[in-house]
This record gives sequence, C-alpha cells and structure tokens, in this order.
Amino acid sequence: MIPESEMKIITLLGIASIAFGQPPTPQAGPPRPSSTQSPASKARPKSATPQQYSADQIREGEVRFGSQCGFCHGKDAAGGETGPDLTRAELVAQDSHGDKLAPIIRAGRPNAGMPAFPSLTQGELNAIVAFLHTQMDKFAELGGGRRSVEPSDLATGSATAGRVYFDGAGKCASCHSPTGDLAGVGKKYQGLSLLRRMLYPTGQGPAPPTAKATFTLSAGQTVVAPVVAEDDFSVTVLDPLGARQTYERSAVKVKVDDALAAHFDQLGTYTDADMHNVYAYLETLK
Amino acid sequence: MRLETRIATLLCAAALPIGAQSVDPKLLLSPPTNAWLTYHGDYTGERHSKLSEITPENISKLKQVWKFQSSQQLKASPIVANGMIYITAPDNLWAIDAHSGKEVWHHQHTKNNAFHIGHRGAAIYKDTVFLTTPDCHLLALNSRNGEVKWDVLIADSAKGFWSTNAPLIVRNHVIVGVAGDFDNLPGTLRSFDADTGKPQWTFYSTPPPSAGDTSSGGATGGQMWNTGTYDPDLNLMFVGTGNPTPVLNGNARPGDNPWTCSIVALNPDTGKLAWGFQVSPHDTHDWDAAEVPVLVDGNFNGQPRKMLLQASRNGYFFVLDRTNGKSLLTKPFAAVNWSKGIDEQGRPIPNPAKEPRKDGALIAPDEGGATNFWPPSFDPKMGLLIVNAKDGYGIYFYKPEHGAYGWAGADYGLAGKGFLRAIDYKTGKIVWEHPYPRGSSSAGVLTTDTDLAITGDAGGNLLAVRSSDGKVVWHENIGRMGGAPVTVELDGKQYLLVTGGNSLFAYALQ
Repeated sequence: MIPESEMKIITLLGIASIAFGQPPTPQAGPPRPSSTQSPASKARPKSATPQQYSADQIREGEVRFGSQCGFCHGKDAAGGETGPDLTRAELVAQDSHGDKLAPIIRAGRPNAGMPAFPSLTQGELNAIVAFLHTQMDKFAELGGGRRSVEPSDLATGSATAGRVYFDGAGKCASCHSPTGDLAGVGKKYQGLSLLRRMLYPTGQGPAPPTAKATFTLSAGQTVVAPVVAEDDFSVTVLDPLGARQTYERSAVKVKVDDALAAHFDQLGTYTDADMHNVYAYLETLK
Repeated sequence: MRLETRIATLLCAAALPIGAQSVDPKLLLSPPTNAWLTYHGDYTGERHSKLSEITPENISKLKQVWKFQSSQQLKASPIVANGMIYITAPDNLWAIDAHSGKEVWHHQHTKNNAFHIGHRGAAIYKDTVFLTTPDCHLLALNSRNGEVKWDVLIADSAKGFWSTNAPLIVRNHVIVGVAGDFDNLPGTLRSFDADTGKPQWTFYSTPPPSAGDTSSGGATGGQMWNTGTYDPDLNLMFVGTGNPTPVLNGNARPGDNPWTCSIVALNPDTGKLAWGFQVSPHDTHDWDAAEVPVLVDGNFNGQPRKMLLQASRNGYFFVLDRTNGKSLLTKPFAAVNWSKGIDEQGRPIPNPAKEPRKDGALIAPDEGGATNFWPPSFDPKMGLLIVNAKDGYGIYFYKPEHGAYGWAGADYGLAGKGFLRAIDYKTGKIVWEHPYPRGSSSAGVLTTDTDLAITGDAGGNLLAVRSSDGKVVWHENIGRMGGAPVTVELDGKQYLLVTGGNSLFAYALQ
C-alpha cells in the first residue's frame, strides 16, 4: 500500500511504471553534451538572416545596450565582466529581428546569472537587437577581436601526458571513455568551447539537468528524477513528461547527487599543465 | 518611541525630541535604535544591532507587515530616519512611510546613458537626502518632499565613470566614490560640503595622467565604489580601492600598483592619506578590495586593539591594526590558488604563473570573487565575521593582441559553490559554514544581539540562522535579495527591512 503522501512521487516514474509498480534503474551516467556547439570554437558566425536596421535605431541600441547590458557584456558587446562575448554568440547569429533574443532579454537567464529586463519597451528591445546584429557583422569583418581566444592559443599541452593523466591521477576514466561517451568529442567541440566543457560541462545556454534526486519511499523503493532547482528547503524535479514537481525536503526522504561534483573537485586539483595536457588529449578524439 | 508617545507628539512641537525632523550628523556617532542612518547603520560597518525582541526562539512568529514594490531590482540597503525610509535604484530614490510602506515621494533622475548595474543606497544629513546617479551626479534632495536643493558633478561619465555609491557622511562632508573599470581612469574619491555642494577635496588612489606621478607603476583604476567606515577617535575614514586598469594585462603596469586593491585610511577633512595596505599587490584578476572595512575593537593575541577586518574578493581575510595599517592576520576564507604565500607585511604574494596567459590559467577565486560588494556582519558577542562567500574557479587569458586599455584580456567563470561562512577574527578560522545546495548568494548580512544572523540565500529565501553555530532557524521565500537587511525599532516594536527582487519588505513579530 502506497501512502497518499507518496503518490505524487510515484508519478515521476511515468505511467508504465505506475502500472507495474517498478522503480526505474537509477541512471546517474555522465550528462549528454548538448548539440549546441559553442561559437567561440568555430569560424565567426554572421547573422544568418541578413537584417537591415536604420542608423538611428542602431545608435539608440548602442546607448541602451551600453547602459543596461554593457557592464557584463562590454559596451561593444564583445564581453565584459562575467558576461559572454555576444559578437560570437550562436544565439545572435540565429536570431531574426529579435525572435530569439527578445524573449531571453525580457526573461533573463536566472540560472546563468543574467537578470530579466521586463520593463524595456518594444522599441528599446528592437534597438538592442539591431545593435547586436550590427556588432556581430562588424566584428566578423574585422576578424580576431581584441578579447578573442583562438584554438591555436590553447595548443600548449601534450596529448600523451594528457592521456596518462586521464587514465591515472585525474581519474577521468572512472566516468568517461575515449571510445564511449567522449568518442568524437574533439570534432564536436574545439578551442575554448572544448576547454570549458572539459573543465565544467554545463555548456553555454540552457543545459540539461546534471543532478538527480533519489526519493526513498516508506516501502524502501527508490524513485529517481532529474533536478532543475533546489535550495535548503525544497527540491524541484521533472516528471517523465517534463513538468516540474516541487517537494519540501522536510516532507520526503530525498538525496541529491550531482554528476558534476567530480568536475568541481577536479578544478581544485588540476595544475595548468594537467589542464592543457588533458585538453590536448581530448582534441585528438576526433 | 512607543506608539502612544508618538501620538502625544502630535500635540505640539515642544514635545518633539530635538532634531526630530532633521538628522544631526552627530547622531551618526551613536545612532538611536529607531533609525538606520547610514548604509552600514553606523560608522563601524559591523552591521550589528543591539535590538533583541526577535530571537531564534520566537522568529517563527515573524510576519510580513507591508511590502513596497518598486519598478526595478533593489540592490540597496535602506536608510531609516524620523519614521521615513529612503531606498534607491539607479536613477531613483523612493521616500517611504516606515509605518505603512506607502510611497511619500519619488525622485527620478534625468535619463542618461551611463551603466545601470545597481545602486547601494542613500545618505542623510540634517533635512537633506543624497543620491548618486549612474552619470555621476550627486543630488541633494529635501528629505520632506524630494525637492532638488543642489546637483553637482562628481566625475565625467562620458569618460567611463559611473556611480552606484551610498555616500559616507562625516560632519559636513559628503564623501562619494565612482566606478570605472572599462577605461583607464584614475581612482577618484571626492568630498563635497553637505550644506552647499561645494567641492572640498579629491583623493586619487592612482595618479591622474596630468600629475606626472609614476608611483602606481603606470596603473590607473583603484576606484572606491563602496561605502567606507570611520573612526571618530582617530579621525580617519577607511575605504577599499578597486582593481588596477588595464585589468588583466599586468605587463603594462609593472610593480605592486599602489593604491589599487588596497585599504586606505584618509583624513576626512582633507582627503590626505594616513596609510595604505595592499591586499592584492599587482592584481591581474579584477579583485577589487572594495569590500567593507569593518572596524572592531577587541582583544587580539591578548592585547586590546583597534582593528580593521576585511573579507576580500581575492579570497583572503585580513585583520589590520587600524591605527597604523599594520597586518595582524592574513588567512584564506575561500578557495585560493593564486599566491605563493604571505609576505612579511601580511600581503599575499601573487604567483606570476597565475597571471592571465595566452593558453589560459585556471584560477580560484573566479572574477566575481570569494565575496564582493555585499556587506558582511560582525557579531561582537561571538567574535565572528559572517559573510556570503564562494569557492569558485575561472579561466583567465591575456595575449598582447588584447592590448593595454580597459579589460585587456578575457576571462570565463567555470563553477562556484556558495556558502554563508563565519570567520573567527582572532584566528581567521572558519568556525562554521552553511553551504547552499546550488548557486551562491549576493546578499548582505545583519546580526543582532540575540544570536541571529539574517541574510538572503542563493535560492531567493530570506534566511535566519544562529550566529553562534549557523543552524537555520527560519526562512521565507521573497525573491533574490540584492541588498542587505537592516533592523529598527518603531513604536516599541522591532522591524526587519529586507529587499527581495523588486520589493522592500517589512517584517515584525505577529
């Protein structure tokens, strides 16, 4: 008999499992890399859809962007404190007249530390979008860019030493395999994108949840679900249909494990040489 | 003042306490419990209140009394005087009735194009409230109705200066700082006459280009954008200075680059430097030492001392003798990997291998730092400095093509873990820490005499823990806290004022 208080947790299993009452096998494997490749590693993107904006609109966008966004992204949009270089951002390249950018500017990216800007007018938003496309195209023509990091800049390590570290001291091989989850990783990601993913693979943009919550029911069964948010008092997980469910920690028995904990711990042990060597090794996994 | 006493004051002006409609700057020397007169609450920066009605035992009865909703995210700490609250956001100051949470007046500054990243708060002197603006104006507003008394320019925002600063008032000095990391600008702190707005003095932490002074090794920067503290006995004010510019390119500015990333002691009447202590010599990681220099009197190694404590963005905790700026203690309070040790003056020794490089250097802390602008609190009963901290890692790049102007490099944060940490000032040891399950907090801390530490956590909760051991005693979700909590007594009742998201909330025991 399942207590009523635990019925909601059971729904995390999905309809099929409810019928058979079987908990799924916990799957705590490494997160799958998202298919979005970081623009920093590729040839500079240009706005995919050619877009025309008036000089006035671009000028207004420059002013608005400078005052609202420039501290983090740089006044020229090429990167400032904490915020990425938007002149190389895939999202800007894919955007057409604000269809991708406007929703993100309005809602922010709270998990990535970007605030929401709900009070910008439509005109101000359009001007910011106009400025970003202009800057992207301008920087694409210039090449380089003063704050750029090129793949060739990073090529200072030894792939052989990297492999030794991967299999040995770094304990990378305890979760990863060059012929399994990392097969082709050097082709899929290059340069700064590969280096950042190697160090802490959250990617840029919305990342799939890497933490799993394991609920233990009173009968001893366990239910595992991906975690999208948590604090001291509650855990929010996704059910099989992708809907959010929030549980008070005090009301359930739940334990959260983050597959990335080992990556965080590794940041405290890497030497710069280890880091560059492992990067060189991963580059060879084409 | 209890409720009926307040009603009695309606009878005649004679019943009013002297200066009830005006804040005498002498009050700042011993602020009454019914007011929070400065950004820090008093001159020490301890952000500790003697109020004792709210305790760990009864805090579960704490209830929201009112909520004031502004149009912007609030990252300020409110000030409270004469039953009025003044709170700010970039270009905005709201005067609010402390008893009802209703807006009394609102000042909206002229639209401008300077950085709008946040604002720390207002200051009050007699019947004038001061507001700094993104485009570096200092406005003097009539505290009763918001009328502009005068408006002076602190610095030229067209050159890249902006201001988020809550001014420091000492006697008739309004002392204001500016920020300006994206351009090579001299570190500038200015004092204006609080009555007239007349400029009194300017202190440069790095020499202006015209000075022909090479003492900073070619560095500009060192902006003093956070609010300082003041010791009336020594007649010295203390303020932290920001990072040097160019920011990540250290080759362009050899040497220690004084007085960037430093704590400086200044005479508030003249702006003259009494001493300086560099917490990050030759910084190449954007680690402003702008964090609050907290003034503590107590025993250190068995000797009574006048001390200055700073948990700094570079990951180290410093205790100085504030009479002379000599180091008493330097200890890391968060993950650090950038120094080769501590020199004989108590300063971390930067490891040249951990300067930004062409192929990248893995650095702890990350650029945001082990802590940042948010104020910590010192609980004198426990001898603990309680601060929102982060163990974080970033990767730093510099190559000659990045140049020698402004940022001059690239850096990327990788990952961080947030904690509320309590540091024993006598040893620098972390006595307890409360880890946040996800993310880190940028909220300030308030402690009270009843073993309470109040802050905002990483998940948008207003969080109360015991100062003594960090045990969580209460929480309520109010949205992300961008400022620091304050507490005052109104009508004999203790109120807690906290920001969450765009709102200011008042809490009291039910």
